[in-house]
Amino acid sequence: MTTAAFDQTRGALADAISDIRAVWTHWHTLAAVGVGAAAAAPAFAPGWFHLDGVAAAMYRALAATGLMLAVGLGGMPSLSQGAFMAFGAFGTALLTARAGWPLLPALLVGVAAAAAAGAIAAVGVVRLRPAFIAVTTWILTWLVVIFLLAFPSISGGSQGIVVSRPLSPTVHYELALALLVLAILAAASVARSPAGLELRAASAKAAAASSLGVVAARRRLGAFVASAAVGALAGALAVDLAGVADASDFGPFRSFELFVAVVIGGAASALGPTVGIVALALVAAGGRFLADLEGVQAVRFEPMFASLLLLTVLGLGGVGAVPAARRFLARRARPARPVGTVARPRVRAVDNAALLEARSLEKRFGNIVAADDVSLRVAGGEICALIGPNGSGKTTVLRMLAGTVMPDAGTVLVDGAALGSAPARDRALRGLVRTLQSTSALTGLTALENVIVGAGLRRRYGGSLRTLVASPLARAEDAAVRTAALETLDQVGLAWAADVPADELPGPDQRLVAVAAALATRPRVLLLDEPAAGSSVEEVARLGELLSRIRTAGIAVLLVEHNLRLVRSVADRVVVMAAGRVIAEGLPDEIAAHHDVRAAYLGRRAL
Amino acid sequence: MSLAVQILVTGLAAGGVYGLVAVGHSVIYRLTGIVNLAYGDMIALGVFTTLLVAAGTGPVTQATAGSGRFVLALVAGLVVCIAAGSGSYLYAVQPYVTRGSTIGWVAAIVAIAFAIRSIIGAVFQRPSYVFPDALPFRDIGRSGFVTVAGASVQVRAFFVIAAAIVLAVLAGLVLERTRFGRGLRAIASDADGARIVGVPVDTFVALAFGLAGGLAALAAIVAAPSGSVTPETGALLGLKGLVAALAVRFGSPLRAMAAGLVLGVSEATIANAHVGSLELGTSYRTVVPLALVLLFIALRPQLEAVEERE
Repeated sequence: MTTAAFDQTRGALADAISDIRAVWTHWHTLAAVGVGAAAAAPAFAPGWFHLDGVAAAMYRALAATGLMLAVGLGGMPSLSQGAFMAFGAFGTALLTARAGWPLLPALLVGVAAAAAAGAIAAVGVVRLRPAFIAVTTWILTWLVVIFLLAFPSISGGSQGIVVSRPLSPTVHYELALALLVLAILAAASVARSPAGLELRAASAKAAAASSLGVVAARRRLGAFVASAAVGALAGALAVDLAGVADASDFGPFRSFELFVAVVIGGAASALGPTVGIVALALVAAGGRFLADLEGVQAVRFEPMFASLLLLTVLGLGGVGAVPAARRFLARRARPARPVGTVARPRVRAVDNAALLEARSLEKRFGNIVAADDVSLRVAGGEICALIGPNGSGKTTVLRMLAGTVMPDAGTVLVDGAALGSAPARDRALRGLVRTLQSTSALTGLTALENVIVGAGLRRRYGGSLRTLVASPLARAEDAAVRTAALETLDQVGLAWAADVPADELPGPDQRLVAVAAALATRPRVLLLDEPAAGSSVEEVARLGELLSRIRTAGIAVLLVEHNLRLVRSVADRVVVMAAGRVIAEGLPDEIAAHHDVRAAYLGRRAL
Repeated sequence: MSLAVQILVTGLAAGGVYGLVAVGHSVIYRLTGIVNLAYGDMIALGVFTTLLVAAGTGPVTQATAGSGRFVLALVAGLVVCIAAGSGSYLYAVQPYVTRGSTIGWVAAIVAIAFAIRSIIGAVFQRPSYVFPDALPFRDIGRSGFVTVAGASVQVRAFFVIAAAIVLAVLAGLVLERTRFGRGLRAIASDADGARIVGVPVDTFVALAFGLAGGLAALAAIVAAPSGSVTPETGALLGLKGLVAALAVRFGSPLRAMAAGLVLGVSEATIANAHVGSLELGTSYRTVVPLALVLLFIALRPQLEAVEERE
């Protein structure tokens, strides 16, 4: 039993090492050497190298790296990281200085308390729009610092709480370095994990991610709490390093500084926050130099320089230092579309074909009737096209089918079972998935990552914890999902673009990426909203061929489309809407000759 | 009774300024969908520019400034405040609003707040300043105080309340009666539509951004001689106005003004309140409203929640 477990562990470790070797580059060697040199620095560093100053900066970088989970991955503009540092700092300081606890248990309790506070804040925050996340976290930051300054009995007032310093600056330096490296590695791993991809997907295009079954609020909650906990840890250790917990250290400016570090470093990059803190430290040093010349207090200049640095970075395009550097390095090696036609792999057949039915759907927006008594049936292995002039209610019908708009009357059924008000994820799990009308590829993710988000719907071991510790089941599933996603990308003819950021692809290809992501959820019913918009004749032909293969797999396809060339070439049946009603239904050729349809499109007088 | 009158008068005087800031927050949010986190610091810029021109950076008594110089200072303060507001919107905020990058405009606007605050802090290095009073209120009654219904209240307070109400009515008239105001309302209901019918959207919004700052700065200048001012005063003022605006979900100017007045009176009440034998005192004055508004948003996020639209 134990030997088996031991062998299993050894096998998993060997796998992990071979995985690492497979992706190891000279950049990794450089980073490892850099970390090694930094770790050895206390032994031979010159006198001007202040260990405690560097350690304090590394603790700030640690807090910023934590914040990156919320800001960079979650897309939540959180301005309260300083407040969470304060929670950790004062929790720990009160326990050590007032209650006489040793550092480690005090640290654990302080961080746990801050994480709990973060969880309470997160429950309120994650449902809010980004602008209001900024507002509420900003108010929270002010609330905490005003509270601390107003109640000296808790915070020690302007003197702060003095704590004994059980750890030497050298120990702090090594500890800060280890924690920072660990945090960066963990953040990088989370960013690429299913949970991280879902977070990035939801912050890039909330509606598109939700249509793939991503539940953003749950992931955001995790990101926010984790970011608060890391901030609290950094705050507690920074206080122990400084020997005093001072409320004014954790005010609005600290929150802003950490936010700035994340933004200028590159919001979704694990190394970005550290680069940002280094940049801010350099700027602050410049500010001190200037302040000495002018004979003013340096403190007064620091916010100004930080602000100017941020405004400059934002003005230059705002992607941040690390992604900009990465883009620059990657520019030379951009893969190109292969020439000529290639036979694409078959789309995986569905196990049991579905029947999508809509019965008497009705929807009004004020006085406008967007849909009136609309009924539809699409069977597995059938392509049904829904056409009609602009404003005829096609998209409203599609949204009612997808569950983002609730019908005033009528029902949507899959296999005869009514969906009711089932949210997008439930519908996706039952096999009903749609793509969006706009270019709905997820920006900031590569084409392959887009598809992996879709494939993530049916993961069983994709929880945050499992991915963080890379449990063997999660790793095996990761590999399987990746292979499946690559295959799906090949089905739409974009295997060559796997590692290209989706937003750098042309519009029609981005729509194909969205179709591939939808296919990766293994749908039984696919709702496509104008997949051919903006495509050339050749691209439309390729799309038609893809749709035929999707039909062969037994998937039911409802195609909302303006491109009548595509509709005539692939649709089995055409439903025509005008002014919210179905005005005709039949074979493509019948519809093309239909009098009412021509009238709806061209107006009566044209006939 | 005398305590109640005192609370009411001081509360309304403070609340009038909060109310004008709340009106500004609401108008800007309705126009652009952004929350001006630098509002308070823009107000402070107006106040401190006025102080700089009126009395310099040295120690000041209330009687320092002559009225001619003070008018010049007031104009300078308002011009700087309006220009800074409009300019920062056009050049630092609007690009991100157009791009739909919330993280971008939040970062830019907070950066502007800190840049303004540190410039003020670099010029005005004392912990706090007395603001000169151009009007001779200290000559009325007992060096500026009169007794109303048994309570001793500052005469200035009535002036501040009156000024706040006049400014609020003025703002309302501008919004209701002028071409500029109608344009703003058109933008608030449908920016694209307004653009199509020929409203200069960007110019109007930038101007509104500046004028909202100027309006609140004027009220803050009127109120400033009643207490002392510090470079941080503005930030707190912006925050309190935001709390009032959030409480009415960035509603109409009338509701925002009312919320500000209520906030002012509740602050004064909390500062003087007793819970059992425990005197709450000033420590709770700011903390309680901030905590309550957070709770309010967390429990009933209607306006603030993510919309399920695409």
